[in-house]
Amino acid sequence: MTTIDRRPTPVTSIAHHTMPQPGPIARLFEPRRIGKMSPMTAFVVYGGLLFWTVIVVFPLYWLLVTSVKLPIDVNEGPRYLPFIDFQPSAHAWRYVFIDIGGDTFRPYVNSLIIATVSTVLAMLVGSMAAYALVRIEYRPSLGSIVMFLACLAAAIVAVVAAGVPWWIAAVGLVAVFLLLLRAIGRRFQRRLGNADIQFWIISQRILPPVVVALPIYVMFQNLGLLNTRTAFIITYATINLPIVVWLMHDFFASIPIDLEESAQLDGASRYRIFFDIVLPLAKPGIAATGLLVLVLAWNEYLLALFLSGADVQTMPLLVAAQNATRGPQWWYMSVLIVIMIVPVVTIALFLQRLIARGLLVGSVKG
Amino acid sequence: MRVTLDRLTKRFGTFTALHALSLTIEPGEFLVLLGPSGCGKTTALRMVAGLETVSEGAIQIGERDVTEVLPKYRDIAMVFQSYALYPHKTVAENIGYPLKLRRVPDPDRDQAVRQVAEQVRLDQLLDRYPRQLSGGQRQRVALARAIVRRPTVFLMDEPLSNLDAKLRVHMRAELKHMQHELGITTVYVTHDQVEAMTLAHRVAVLNNGRLQQLGTPREIYGDPANLFVAGFVGSPPMSFVDGALQSGRFVAPGADLAVGGSFDVRDAVLGIRAEDCQVVPRGAGKVRATVYSHELIGDHTLVMCQIGADSDASHTIAVKMDKAFEAEFGAEIDIDMAPAGLFIFDKKDGSRVRLPSA
Amino acid sequence: MTAAPADRDTVGPSVGRRARFEEWAERQASLVFILPATLVILGFSLFPLLVSAYLAVSRFRLGPGGFELSFVGFANFRKLLFGSEQFHFLGRLEALGPLSWAVLIGVAALLGWWLARAYRNPKTGVIGKVGRTITATVALGLTALTLTTTLAGGAFGSLMTTLFYVVVGCTLQFLIGLGLAILCAQPIVGRNVFRILFFIPVMVTPVGIAYAFRMLADMSRGPLAPIWSAFGLGELSWAADPWAARMVVVIGDSWQWVPFIFIVLLAALENQPREQLEAAQLDGASGWQTFRDVSWPAIAPTAATVMLIRIIEAFKIIDLPNVLTNGGPGIATESMTLHSFFAWRTQDLGGSAAVAYMLLFVSVVISVSFFHFVVRRARREHL
Repeated sequence: MTTIDRRPTPVTSIAHHTMPQPGPIARLFEPRRIGKMSPMTAFVVYGGLLFWTVIVVFPLYWLLVTSVKLPIDVNEGPRYLPFIDFQPSAHAWRYVFIDIGGDTFRPYVNSLIIATVSTVLAMLVGSMAAYALVRIEYRPSLGSIVMFLACLAAAIVAVVAAGVPWWIAAVGLVAVFLLLLRAIGRRFQRRLGNADIQFWIISQRILPPVVVALPIYVMFQNLGLLNTRTAFIITYATINLPIVVWLMHDFFASIPIDLEESAQLDGASRYRIFFDIVLPLAKPGIAATGLLVLVLAWNEYLLALFLSGADVQTMPLLVAAQNATRGPQWWYMSVLIVIMIVPVVTIALFLQRLIARGLLVGSVKG
Repeated sequence: MRVTLDRLTKRFGTFTALHALSLTIEPGEFLVLLGPSGCGKTTALRMVAGLETVSEGAIQIGERDVTEVLPKYRDIAMVFQSYALYPHKTVAENIGYPLKLRRVPDPDRDQAVRQVAEQVRLDQLLDRYPRQLSGGQRQRVALARAIVRRPTVFLMDEPLSNLDAKLRVHMRAELKHMQHELGITTVYVTHDQVEAMTLAHRVAVLNNGRLQQLGTPREIYGDPANLFVAGFVGSPPMSFVDGALQSGRFVAPGADLAVGGSFDVRDAVLGIRAEDCQVVPRGAGKVRATVYSHELIGDHTLVMCQIGADSDASHTIAVKMDKAFEAEFGAEIDIDMAPAGLFIFDKKDGSRVRLPSA
Repeated sequence: MTAAPADRDTVGPSVGRRARFEEWAERQASLVFILPATLVILGFSLFPLLVSAYLAVSRFRLGPGGFELSFVGFANFRKLLFGSEQFHFLGRLEALGPLSWAVLIGVAALLGWWLARAYRNPKTGVIGKVGRTITATVALGLTALTLTTTLAGGAFGSLMTTLFYVVVGCTLQFLIGLGLAILCAQPIVGRNVFRILFFIPVMVTPVGIAYAFRMLADMSRGPLAPIWSAFGLGELSWAADPWAARMVVVIGDSWQWVPFIFIVLLAALENQPREQLEAAQLDGASGWQTFRDVSWPAIAPTAATVMLIRIIEAFKIIDLPNVLTNGGPGIATESMTLHSFFAWRTQDLGGSAAVAYMLLFVSVVISVSFFHFVVRRARREHL
């Protein structure tokens, strides 16, 4: 209830202030007409934009022209324009696609499969968690979490130091933890909330991948998964999970709850609500987040260094490996980089607006 | 100062938002631009403010042509619908911002802010941030920011529409009083005809980017220029009955009235306001009707009557009755209409058919 | 319905076997939704983190038929901070000169004053005190390290190199990204073309960027060669100069990441309430004043957050230095991740894990400090 102040407004005696004329420099940047820029502003603005356009385009252009250069055109000083400075040749393209076609094709397919499958996986798992964090209340107790971590640490010491087989340690870990939980779980009073869980998941992104790369390497070796696509897929899905949870959380939060409640009254289960109602409504968010994650997985380099072997190589490694014994083969390298860039850039062109919006939603509230 | 709009036109691509609007707003006048959303009223206001370019025509403030002048040199102030307060500035900083930009020395600025704040009764809230204020208080900050430099013209874009009903009535009175005290020419945009009637010296009714009528609230209400104005102004809105004008008689299913004159209009519309009708027992009035529903408003009862219920062309007529009035739903009654309250419009173009005064 | 009539009689009309399963599944829904993510992170993030901690305090030796780990306490860290790896990690440390001492004491005094203020404030809790102490200690240590490796004439180790990439790279990217966003927010023709164009680099694989910039930075055969030779620099090699090499890395990194900051800040600028900008215009603000007084406060929280993300990611840099310079000349461009990777390649798993943990420590302290003292503040003051 707003209380209304009913004192009458007193008579006013306010001084009149007009706008002073601008100084000489300010005048240069002041528009001559409404809704237009002054010539000076326009010069600065378009000048700046064109300058950065050159910065952005030139390296890409250079990659493209290098891919159609003969070694001699690269090695004998800069040659800029095809047909004018040099005669373009498809030799590098022929070499990459035909002569060593299989060696290009395999990593390319690997990268495609790894990137898409890990993205789908991360999106699915991450979206479910993000949705749950928006709509379901969790109150895990701090004590049980500490207890679990202690058990985990003990299991690790047992495996690494005492040589207990890892699967026995894993079973033991779960058993001991559950027993302890039964026994003393009720005593823990301090509870965490959804925000804590979300923070915990998102904060995984701070973790430098190199910290986990080593143990993951050892772990997959033990599981016999080293040098397989599965290892890549699981790892990439994990490292991108925080991003998915972070961005999707805000998309789900922006969906009005009325729809879900009405579906609930109509008798839909949580699963049905999630897949039939929530996911379709979050499509822009899914597109944006998915693309971002896809690109990150597609370009990932560090973990690939650790995980790849003779059988499974990804494109970034193939490109990096061109720094061969005979010195860099710029022309082949350029072809490989170009065919790596083209697909992601194509998708990005269609989705860039969504991405900006998605990132904005996430970064403002996150 | 006088504000003159001369054949002001705004086009967005092929769409014309405003068609050659010509208006002269007298010094110190409170002019309201009234119309439904999308009628071009806000566009017109924004052109006066300089926020929108002018496609054709000219704007003068006083003797100065400001058509191409930047907003900041027009010496105008505007209150926005959302108030557009700077969220990270305190109330005092918000109010003082126009003065700061005019390089008014700090002590003078503080004094001016304090003075204005006192006038709009914000003096206790100067250190708060907008998010800590209620809707009415925010509205006052916006007002204070507008008057602190005493502009020559005030522009207001639906400033009361975000307030609750009670506060709106109060702020309306306050606005009117303050405008009177300051004597600053004001252009006020609203879609709320009650606001327009209560605030304005003159009202300009717009529809589809065209000026429909310009006049005092009394003229607009009592002598609407066309069907649109008649239907837009007044609460409840004027009731309309489709029919035909045959040599001075208006004929419709269930109705046959002498309206005077000797015109023939094949598609005519009869307009009548609720307070110009009476529900009378069957046989005692001119129009045969049934009671559709009735609502007790407080000081009166609004009776919705249906005429021509059995034909395709049925119409509802609102009748204002005494608060003690009671009737059965579906009761068969007659409606008596005061001849002076009858308006006839040509349905084809909505124009008023002027009857010889009764 | 699959429910049998018998069920109906005893339990109620709709409770068949399937219905019972559905009800059970519905009750478990809260667990089902969150469990996969939790397990994945436990298994592939938290578990490895703990294993890594174990590795960092162990020595790894390849033995017959496998490997063997022995507990060595903090030996790996000692080696990095004080021992044989010190030059590699911290850099070549020189005795501080009078100027450096003056700067160091100045910084120490500032940090001390800041800490004392926080301690005297009754609102600071225990966590706040501990956190601030850690922040101040790390800040002082890094200042000392910066002074001894620059002013005093020492050389960068991988820690300082990483910080250089983070600080210089992020600052550069922020300034350019913000500048471009402001330019693009003007009433310009073809905004969408610029927006799309400027967005592309973020999509390009970093390894590709590294090679592209190696070509571009080639001073005798690259596209800029005529310019260099006009200045008589044609024979100079940036790859042999530590600072030039680091700058090339930063430039490549910036080329990739400016778009990220640009696109988010542009969206933030476009997202501002239009009426506030118009009110400023009517109040008499010039373009610059409108930005300073209205737009910047509106986008500051977004800017702070986007910088936090960028800083977190910047600590992980490896692709560019590895491919552009292979960490050289010497160790001049070696980031901590690269350092760790090199250690791993030489079978020094303990050393590798120790470097990784130091990276984790530094990046967590800096990210969390940035979050508390910049992002939080920006959100508090500007929302």
